[in-house]
Amino acid sequence: MIGNGDDMEGNRLFKFPKPQWLNSANTRNAGVYLSGALFSIALFVMIDATVYSNGRLNGSDLHLNFVDWIPSIFSFLGMLVINSIDKTRLSGDTFAYSGDGVAWKAKVVLFMGFAAMAGGLAGGVTVMVLKYVTEGATGMSLWFGVANLLANALVMLSCVVLWVSQNMEDDYTYNLAL
Amino acid sequence: MAGLKTIIVLSFILAIGFLLVILSSALFKNYLTLLVVATYVIAPVPNWLCGKAQSQDDFMDSGSSSIVELGRFMTGFLVVMGIALPVVLAHCDQITIPAMAMSIVGGLLIYGTIISFTMFFREQEEF
Repeated sequence: MIGNGDDMEGNRLFKFPKPQWLNSANTRNAGVYLSGALFSIALFVMIDATVYSNGRLNGSDLHLNFVDWIPSIFSFLGMLVINSIDKTRLSGDTFAYSGDGVAWKAKVVLFMGFAAMAGGLAGGVTVMVLKYVTEGATGMSLWFGVANLLANALVMLSCVVLWVSQNMEDDYTYNLAL
Repeated sequence: MAGLKTIIVLSFILAIGFLLVILSSALFKNYLTLLVVATYVIAPVPNWLCGKAQSQDDFMDSGSSSIVELGRFMTGFLVVMGIALPVVLAHCDQITIPAMAMSIVGGLLIYGTIISFTMFFREQEEF
């Protein structure tokens, strides 16, 4: 079973082999750090828009309030749900201990997480269009709306990076265990 | 003796980092940039705490590894926060642009010192 990775290489769909660095521990760690960095950028983009719009530099009548934060809150909750799920529970039929529809429950919770995240992104677009674009905002006022969209997209990207690095880790520990 | 030289160089870099951050706040009579120091000082703490939490558990336990990843996530978050905080403050006219540049460079020097110090001591423990 040591040659498990080689079997998977033989059954590969694509012409090019999977690069070796994709399965190394350093790549996983860098992915997790990168995910945290992306999440931090997302949060500070939102904070920048909020502080700027309520500071003295803002010349327009448009201000951020709690409504602008709702999509970001949903994105964050979705990310929390998606990454809290134990990924091994998703393939429930391969493990004897996960009976009683654990895989089904995991898929339902995961679906709710993805729905919250997609809803957050859609909400970001909604707030940008309804609150800023239709009001004819330009320059820094438009940035308030774009920041909303950008923050939600960055949270989604951060979630994707974290998910991919966690799955890489699963492969790694699997090869280590066998 | 090489270790002694490393310690001396690292302490000089740490002093330069603190000098830059303190200058960035004191020159402009605006002490918000000291938040950068606080951010970079607590940045390695999640990694350290989560590493301690892992070592008490079993080696092959999958739950412990996610705690370590949470620590890494929070460390990545805090490191970028140390750069993003002065940028946001400067963009919103709370601090000036030179103060922003000085505090970012000083903060990165401080964090680089902390990281190299940790790596240095980890290497010492292995032998």
